Amino acid sequence: MGKLVVGNVSELPPSSRRIVRVNGREIGVFNVKGKYYALRNLCPHQSAPLCLGELTGLAISDEPGEIEWTREGEILRCPWHGWEFDIANGSTIFQSNARVKTYDVQVEKASVARLIEGVETYPVDVENDLVILEY
Amino acid sequence: MERARQMEEATTYGVPREVSVDLIDCDVHPYLTHPDELRQYMREPWRSRTIPSRRQIFLPPGDGRRLDAFPEDGSPAGSDPKLLETQVLQGIGADYVVLIPSSSISIIPDPVFAAEVAQAWNDWQIETWLGEYNWHGRFKSSIVIAPQHPERAAREIERLAGHPHLVQILVGSSAQAAYGKRQYHPIWEAAARHNLPAALHVESPVGPTPPSPLGYPTYFLEFHTLYPTIYMTHLVSLIAEGVFEKYPDFKFVFVEGGSAWLAPIMWRMDKDWRGARAEAPWLKRRPSEYLRDHIRFSTQPIEEPENPRHLLQIFEMMEAEHVLMFASDYPHWDFDDPKRAFPRMPKELKRRIFCENARELYNLPATRRADSLDSTPSAAEKQKIMGTGN
Repeated sequence: MGKLVVGNVSELPPSSRRIVRVNGREIGVFNVKGKYYALRNLCPHQSAPLCLGELTGLAISDEPGEIEWTREGEILRCPWHGWEFDIANGSTIFQSNARVKTYDVQVEKASVARLIEGVETYPVDVENDLVILEY
Repeated sequence: MERARQMEEATTYGVPREVSVDLIDCDVHPYLTHPDELRQYMREPWRSRTIPSRRQIFLPPGDGRRLDAFPEDGSPAGSDPKLLETQVLQGIGADYVVLIPSSSISIIPDPVFAAEVAQAWNDWQIETWLGEYNWHGRFKSSIVIAPQHPERAAREIERLAGHPHLVQILVGSSAQAAYGKRQYHPIWEAAARHNLPAALHVESPVGPTPPSPLGYPTYFLEFHTLYPTIYMTHLVSLIAEGVFEKYPDFKFVFVEGGSAWLAPIMWRMDKDWRGARAEAPWLKRRPSEYLRDHIRFSTQPIEEPENPRHLLQIFEMMEAEHVLMFASDYPHWDFDDPKRAFPRMPKELKRRIFCENARELYNLPATRRADSLDSTPSAAEKQKIMGTGN
């Protein structure tokens, strides 16, 4: 497993995203309400750049005609065919075997991050924490 | 004593007392002997009015009837129960037929008048086809309702639910709107509460909506070929609007609109649903998954591809063993004979289509009492149809 500095925490505020490239793979890193998520930028359906899609909520219903809006910002919708993915685990909202790979994201102190072997060189603001992608 | 009586009865009819139910015909049309026959079942002021009737602007071959289905006295085809017994119960060996009165209710613009006419059709059929003519109990039928008046329709269902021979409700394909829409839900609610499926049957081309999405075609050939376009619209609407989530026991039967188109349209809906799910989140399953539990199709007019094996492939794609039910459409010109219209099918599939799917849907018994209609040579004919014993 490798680690990659995605950026300073200040560079990835809530409701922002950044797409990084690791070993030839694109991974989208998201900050949703202060929580970080990372998914492969590749839709399992027809290989669209999934992480360019809209972050939306989850519509659920107990009764035809009634819709409840939940989990605002936690659903990633593919920019091509509109498939909805749970940003937390990469599975489709409709039942299927299709799944997009997800990764862990950590926030670490800049000073500590520097000491970790394998971390790429990154201009670090000592006042800030770093967002680290584990891949 | 009982045994002796049974033996005597068996001897009288020359057949076993109980016979197995092997063939159910889900689309047979009983006709009035005269249009005015309905009047006696109506009240004023409607009784004295002219009832809008089926207007044939597209003319099918033979005026739409099998020419041998006209009784000798010249009365309308499908109006004589004896001839119908001969040609359907005996002729093709149907154990039960499900009658579908050709009421053309949907062409009546006034919803109250339409509801009154629907009621008259029901009282008529209860007295005749389900009463006096039904000495053998092998005629089942459909509650005629006017969907343009949902509240009256629900009341009519309440009035007649529980009648032993009324096994479903009936609506026309030509409607003011697709049947999934909310205005119709009170009808489906009443039907579901009484465990009555709803059957949708083709209606007159002159109705609240034109017979194709692009209006009126030029020829009967086009009109008849394009029935499925309206059926697709109703089917997709019923599923999308969540009717089967709202009424989990409700079932819908699509009669005479073909079925070979079913699998491809459902593939399309399934595919679109994956991206568009969020606007109809009450759908808990893939749209096509509602078919097996809620939707049935009648066979006639069965598609007849050049290569009959293609039809079997289509059957496989649409899960015909769960959704397809035999229908002859007697006495119409495009009648399907169960012996002739189908490719050679695996025995189990044939049994599902010819009998079991309808038997389960309409709660019909696995055996029935033999009657005098069974004691004719055509009873032996029936054995041949079902291929019993091979």
